[in-house]
Amino acid sequence: MRADVVDERTEVVDALREQVRRFCEREVNARDIDAAARIPKAVLEGLGALGVFGVTLPEAYGGAGLRLEDACRLVDELARHDRSVAVSVGLHLGLGTRGLVRYGTAAQHERWLPKLASGEAIAAFSTTEPGAGSDLSSLRTVAKEDGAHLVVDGEKSYVTNGGFAGLFTVAVSTPGLGGAQRGQSLVLVEPTDPGFSVQREEHKLGLKGSSTTGLVFENARLPRERLLGEPGQGPRMLAHILSWGRTLMSAGCCGGAAYCLDKTVAHAQQRTQFGRPLAALDVVKERLALMHARHFAMEALVLATARQQDDEALAVHSLAAKVFCSEGAGWVADEAVQLHGGLGFIEETGVAMVLRDVRVTRIFEGANDVLLTHLGTAELTRRASEGRRHSVSEVEAALDDFALSLHSTHKLRVFRQPRLLHALGAATAWVMASRAATQRAHLTQHPTQLAFAKLVEQQAHAAVARASTPLTDDTLVHAALGLERTGARP
Amino acid sequence: MNAPANVDARVIHLISQLVPVKPQDIKPEQRLRDDLGMDSVSSMELLSMLAEDFELDVGVEDVADVHTVGQTIELVKVFLAKKAA
Repeated sequence: MRADVVDERTEVVDALREQVRRFCEREVNARDIDAAARIPKAVLEGLGALGVFGVTLPEAYGGAGLRLEDACRLVDELARHDRSVAVSVGLHLGLGTRGLVRYGTAAQHERWLPKLASGEAIAAFSTTEPGAGSDLSSLRTVAKEDGAHLVVDGEKSYVTNGGFAGLFTVAVSTPGLGGAQRGQSLVLVEPTDPGFSVQREEHKLGLKGSSTTGLVFENARLPRERLLGEPGQGPRMLAHILSWGRTLMSAGCCGGAAYCLDKTVAHAQQRTQFGRPLAALDVVKERLALMHARHFAMEALVLATARQQDDEALAVHSLAAKVFCSEGAGWVADEAVQLHGGLGFIEETGVAMVLRDVRVTRIFEGANDVLLTHLGTAELTRRASEGRRHSVSEVEAALDDFALSLHSTHKLRVFRQPRLLHALGAATAWVMASRAATQRAHLTQHPTQLAFAKLVEQQAHAAVARASTPLTDDTLVHAALGLERTGARP
Repeated sequence: MNAPANVDARVIHLISQLVPVKPQDIKPEQRLRDDLGMDSVSSMELLSMLAEDFELDVGVEDVADVHTVGQTIELVKVFLAKKAA
């Protein structure tokens, strides 16, 4: 992922990326990691020695003090070599440490940041529970005050880095704490805390080398100082932390797609069919062009997202980036398998593993269907307040028309129709990606990049048209399921 | 349970249908998101339910500054007054 805006830190990150690339080529074997379902300790220690675990942590505590954009470029590089490693590092830099860096006290910083920056301790993060995923209001893990302590009870699921983390940032329900009747807070947990235990490793479809565990709190007693930030302010903090997490995860998707693209282009140039290289066939050329364009837009959207300074703008962009990049990585990996023919289905080729690895990116850090509804809500709220924009591209104008038609037709009732919000969210993600790709291409004026941007714009147009003319309506859906229609609210 | 008749109680009753909090524990000063655990989608869904329940012609632009239970109740009262005028 090449920086599209060059500044004084670009060279630093370029140099670190090059070191990481050489290290990964020497030490990281994705197939071995996949087969063993673990990342060798030497790999994590080697990345720690390069400073990878501290890139976004403050310099005062041994980190490099770099930005989200810089971390994205590193995670992208890691994902080109191994997605399990990329996810472990990305989780540490985003969800795992962002809360501590931004909301932690000086004492909390001094206690944990030096170890986290060196890689001596790796960070994990947890919100999901057996009975609560994207709905934070349903958290069942409860922390209650008991003198100078918090007593925590509950269970958590699917915790990345859980098996080897030295620090966990955990979302808990804290009724009454901080003055709110029902609030959620964040607490910092160490693996040796009494009453806290890490469960067995999950067996997964992909990302097999990454650690995924459950957590159990049984009357776990934490000093009250383990509260992160203001009590009862969990949702506000989570919004920022999740924005970082989703952006870094999107960067990993770019790296996985880049690997598939490189492998597929090489294969298409070498493999001969009907007397010509695959790459010379019209159908293959078109698909390679679309893969290139999609990957270009994914990178552009990640970089544009990572540069957002305002929390609200970062949150909305990260929704679009997460959805667009996870779907894009899955699509590119699937096309790579297809264009490799029978070889694509063979594990040794490499692209099949990426297909397995990236599948979960549409699910974790917020299932795409939920995030699209949020993105549609954000877009509709903004469009209804600001109205139709002038002097925007055709595709942006088409999105405005769609959003405003939903508002004028349904008024506030549209917010009780998640399928409409979902459709608007899907169109919005494509249009935001198209915008980012166009801006990136205009910076370089490179003919190839301008062509990528045009291809993405065409697909964004198609996405808006598809979203605004749904193939199903409530009547058909209910008839197909054999249900009687009972109104908009099930 | 039948919906209560007065505006404050009806609003609180509708909120209690969307969050796992009992009506008697919902107070005007509470924030829909930070205190009651709503997100951007569920808070807009609530306002949509209110508009429908009270038969109010409220637009998205009218609810931009509604963040607390009290502000929600006030919004409903303002639009009820407009409707009656």
